[in-house]
Amino acid sequence: MLKQMLQKEFILVLRDKHSLAALFIMPFFFILIMSMALKDTFTNERALLIYEIVDLDNSQESKMLQDFMSTSSFLQRVDSKDSSDTHLSITIPKSFSNALLEKERQEPLLQLSAAPDVKQEMIMIFQAKLSADIMRLRLMQIQKKIAPYIPDASQLNLDRFHNEKLFDIDYRRMQDNEQPTSTQQSVPSWIVFGMFFVIIPMSTVFINERKQKTLMRLASMNISIPALFTGKVLPYLLINQLQVLLMIAAGVYIVPLLGGDALTPGHSLAGLALVSISLSFAAIGTSVLIATLAKTVEQATTVGGLINILFGAIGGIMVPKFYMPESMQKFANISPMSWGLEGFLDIFLRGYGIKEILPEAMALCGFGLCLLLLAATILSKRLRG
Amino acid sequence: MISINNICKRYNQHTALDDINLTVSKGCILGLLGPNGAGKTTLVSILNGLTPYQSGTISIFGLSLHDNLPEIRRRSSFIPQSFAFYENLTVMENLRFFAGIQNIKNGQAKNVISQAIAINRLEAMLNKRANSLSGGQKQRLNIAIGLLNNPEVIYLDEPTAGIDPELRNSILQTIRSFKDAGKTIIYTSHYMQEIEQICDEVAIIRQGRIICHETIEKLLNKENGTSNLETIFLQLTASEEAPC
Repeated sequence: MLKQMLQKEFILVLRDKHSLAALFIMPFFFILIMSMALKDTFTNERALLIYEIVDLDNSQESKMLQDFMSTSSFLQRVDSKDSSDTHLSITIPKSFSNALLEKERQEPLLQLSAAPDVKQEMIMIFQAKLSADIMRLRLMQIQKKIAPYIPDASQLNLDRFHNEKLFDIDYRRMQDNEQPTSTQQSVPSWIVFGMFFVIIPMSTVFINERKQKTLMRLASMNISIPALFTGKVLPYLLINQLQVLLMIAAGVYIVPLLGGDALTPGHSLAGLALVSISLSFAAIGTSVLIATLAKTVEQATTVGGLINILFGAIGGIMVPKFYMPESMQKFANISPMSWGLEGFLDIFLRGYGIKEILPEAMALCGFGLCLLLLAATILSKRLRG
Repeated sequence: MISINNICKRYNQHTALDDINLTVSKGCILGLLGPNGAGKTTLVSILNGLTPYQSGTISIFGLSLHDNLPEIRRRSSFIPQSFAFYENLTVMENLRFFAGIQNIKNGQAKNVISQAIAINRLEAMLNKRANSLSGGQKQRLNIAIGLLNNPEVIYLDEPTAGIDPELRNSILQTIRSFKDAGKTIIYTSHYMQEIEQICDEVAIIRQGRIICHETIEKLLNKENGTSNLETIFLQLTASEEAPC
């Protein structure tokens, strides 16, 4: 009996072009687009800030400061005439070189002007770099001043301090020289989002079965509600797993062809399977409940689509959670998409295994089971008049 | 074959069936007539174990419906008014699916599917998707699915509703052939002419009560053969008292 149920659902989904587009094409394109769009956010290949310098001092020190600034890869200097695109503008006043070592100054050493859309953290990063470079200039001036009195001081190579590599960054649980990429972030997000779109094929079939009294006919053929639900859960569980495989394949093989970073799918295949099956269970539970409550296919697909978008927006699919304020990050935890996303990120990004994703997997399974039981109770009441 | 005793069904304050008593013998075609909302579909639904009832007993094949529902369902078939199959599957895929979920074994399934196809003249459309069939062809597929378990009792809920007269006749012929195969049929319809044409007995329901249960022959003879079933039905349903 299950074999027939599986065959029937597969044929119906394969013949429904709109469902195929929602299940496979939509997340596939989201993965491609978002992996490429966010590529530079996760690498240091692109300048984070564009700045200009207006040098009124034209001294050796002001020139040196400009040289120091130009060594940074995350800063890009442009000419003053292109200033419409700059994030920050530095004005070096005429008195700059003289004021470098002054104990008490009336005016600040430099003037900074920022565009209104520059984030505070970017200004802080820029200030830190600027402070380090000014400190370097001051040390050089001090070295020059004390050299007549302490001959060894002139032997001190200050550039050595500056160029010295003080620390190395290792990303926890990632291979040496491996860095998190936009693909590692995008693939899990859009896998999760795509999986919840089983609502479209499921509600189309289920509501038509109800309206056309096919469910009633099946019941008169001794098909129980648990058997009927098993016949719904299993095919869509397999369809969801197929989605996960294809989306991972897109991240591993297709994104690099377009110039993006390849996905590294973590080291725990069992963990990946567990989070994927648990999430599928939650997505199917949500879909079955909506399909049971909705009166028409249009109602189910509209409500289902809205719920998916809300779950996605809250759960960190559309906007990554690390961009959200702390209160929103906490609020995000009410969305099952967030649990699934964290599970996938644990596997793909943090290199965790089954043990670490168990809480998310259990929450997803519990959520799916509760919704399925609720749907079964409602359907049973409706079928029995 | 079917024995219904003192069945009552209430939906909250509304009484859908009130003390229904009915006996249908083997090989009989019983027409169930009644205005909309009279309780015909509720009765058919109860006989299939799809709707619970508050009181009374039902026995089918000498077995209590309450205690032997799976066995009774295996030996009977419910053909709903709507096209209760999958529009995006072909005729053959639908037949295979419904045979499969009833656990009809492979060899036997081929036979019953072939028979259902032949009886309903579906040979020319086996590979067509159900959504491309005409209304009459869809109804024939609907009936064919109901024959897959080789039922002894068939419940047909308004099988000719919305079907054009030409195709309606062909469906009626098919239903008539079930009687020749020894099957018992309970048939609900709004079309008096159809009931007169194919049924052996008629039961008229009004406001949840059976007000008349007679053979067609006896019922027509009561009026000295001067009237037709439609006139008798209108008289009976308009009357306050139970005249049969």
